[in-house]
Amino acid sequence: MKNILEVKNLNKKYADFTLKNVSFTLPTGMIMGFIGENGAGKTTTIKAILNIITDYTGEINIMGLNNKTNDQKIKENIGVVLDDMFFPEVLKAQDINQIMKSIYTSWDEELFQNYLKQFNLPLKKAIKTFSKGMRKKLEIATALAHHPQLLILDEPTSGLDPVARAEVIEIFQNFIQNEKCSILLSSHQTTDLEHIADYITFINKGQIILSATCDEILNHYAIVRCTAAEFKKIKPEDYLKYRQEKYNYELLITNKKSFKQKYTTEVIDKITLDDLMVLMIKGVK
Amino acid sequence: MEIIISNSSGVPIYEQIKDQIKAKIITGELAANFMLPSIRLLAKDLHCSVITTKNAYEELEKEGFIKSVPAKGFYVARINQELAKEEQLTKMENLISEALKIAKIHQISITEIKEMIDIINEENES
Amino acid sequence: MWGFIKKDFAMIKSNWLIVLILFILYAYLGLTDKMEISFILPFMSVVLMLSTFNYDEFNKWDAYAATLPNGRKNGVRAKYVATFLIVFLISLFTIAMALIIAYTKSTTIDYVNIFGLIGATFISTILVQSLMYPIIYMFGITKARIAIFVIVFVIAIAGGMLLKLIDFSHFTKVTAFLSHYALIIFPLIVLLLLYGSYKISLKIATKKNF
Repeated sequence: MKNILEVKNLNKKYADFTLKNVSFTLPTGMIMGFIGENGAGKTTTIKAILNIITDYTGEINIMGLNNKTNDQKIKENIGVVLDDMFFPEVLKAQDINQIMKSIYTSWDEELFQNYLKQFNLPLKKAIKTFSKGMRKKLEIATALAHHPQLLILDEPTSGLDPVARAEVIEIFQNFIQNEKCSILLSSHQTTDLEHIADYITFINKGQIILSATCDEILNHYAIVRCTAAEFKKIKPEDYLKYRQEKYNYELLITNKKSFKQKYTTEVIDKITLDDLMVLMIKGVK
Repeated sequence: MEIIISNSSGVPIYEQIKDQIKAKIITGELAANFMLPSIRLLAKDLHCSVITTKNAYEELEKEGFIKSVPAKGFYVARINQELAKEEQLTKMENLISEALKIAKIHQISITEIKEMIDIINEENES
Repeated sequence: MWGFIKKDFAMIKSNWLIVLILFILYAYLGLTDKMEISFILPFMSVVLMLSTFNYDEFNKWDAYAATLPNGRKNGVRAKYVATFLIVFLISLFTIAMALIIAYTKSTTIDYVNIFGLIGATFISTILVQSLMYPIIYMFGITKARIAIFVIVFVIAIAGGMLLKLIDFSHFTKVTAFLSHYALIIFPLIVLLLLYGSYKISLKIATKKNF
């Protein structure tokens, strides 16, 4: 199976927000970072993929199967971490183990216990006594313990300190050592994504505005900083967006190499995903 | 095998990986038929994406430094070290003649250039 | 489905101290003849099950459950089975208590009275829950509380009016028939109601957007 996840023309209307023709593809064995502002539609898209919302139009295939007609089979094979949705907090980690044992045929008790140990999480304390970081770690352990093929993670590292984040990132990279396993994760921790994501999908105001390999973005995109005089000489087809700052102009370009050959502008900076997001959203053309 | 990645150098990471493995092959540090780590393992250990290491390996394969054995992995290819060195020498020649061109335009003497090389060399070694 | 039932029981267990205190209190009141415990105890199941809905809603469990295999369906089914089990277990406990009370007071044991009373509370408890659950699934527990209040109010008024308007002397044969077969008819009606309620809840839950 070439693609583990295909989203085609996803549309969903709310009173104050619309998802419009959202389409993207996650090839098997890869990690996709899903980025965008708060309220841009990341969570809604994820909810549609998981059928947490059902009143959308469009087609979603997971593991080559339609997500609506093969709900149960798909869900046996995916692990999720969602923002703010989990087991009732009066329960304990050991309750989750007992419950999940009866829910997933492939629940791996030993693996779950190992993650708890690795994360230093207590078995016999109610979730409500956990810190935010501990909760996230428990959610991640729960998502992984039935050997899923696809992880769908909404902000899995929010609330984690840098050390815990590194730990979790390593677990994700271990997870895809099996080339059948893939991850879709939304995150505001863009530096983490720059390291581990193979693909970046960028959603803004309910629409996908960019979906490319992370290497393509980091190696070919760049930021040009120049004076107004220099800016006037640059042809509009050579940049994607620009932004007028107080002392200079900032341009988002998509082909660093050919730009360098064409223009003599001094400052061509390496791009970060944060820069990309800001310029794509705040920039104009 | 040691690989050092810089995130701030501006050189694409796949290129850094490629260049460093290539150097190790040319110097003989990585012998022919040495099995390289899988693209997934290398990605994990270097904290980079799978596509990055895949690109690096694909380019190395294209240039004939490594070969892929289906369902097994990547191995260091048998290269002619003389030839590889020759190739590097040609590369250097081109760079030096480029420098000499600039020197000629600005009337910089050979002695000055030799001094410059010594200074740069010292700086790099310290 | 058993995973979901385990979850509901684990949540109830997390309140075990309060549950235990209430049980002891009622048992004491029953033993000292201050109160009819058989009436109160099965109704505790309503409180216990509502607390599980509360916990679920607080952590958006239903949305999370929708991501588990067959999560929506099994979640609803588990609530009904758990409800039935709890009411049943409490009723058994109440019968045992009633027998102990009768024995300690060395009064003659009135089996018909004990079983009749507990059976009636059993049925009415299930009835209340059957009415409540679809409303909870529809509106969520927070809003459902108001809806439940309104519905109970409307039913009480309608029932009261009906009783006033209808002259039951015309139906003596029917009432006689009913009282004769009550042991079969009422449980049957209640089970049907429970099943209907389950089907409605299931329909609501499988289409719900979280």
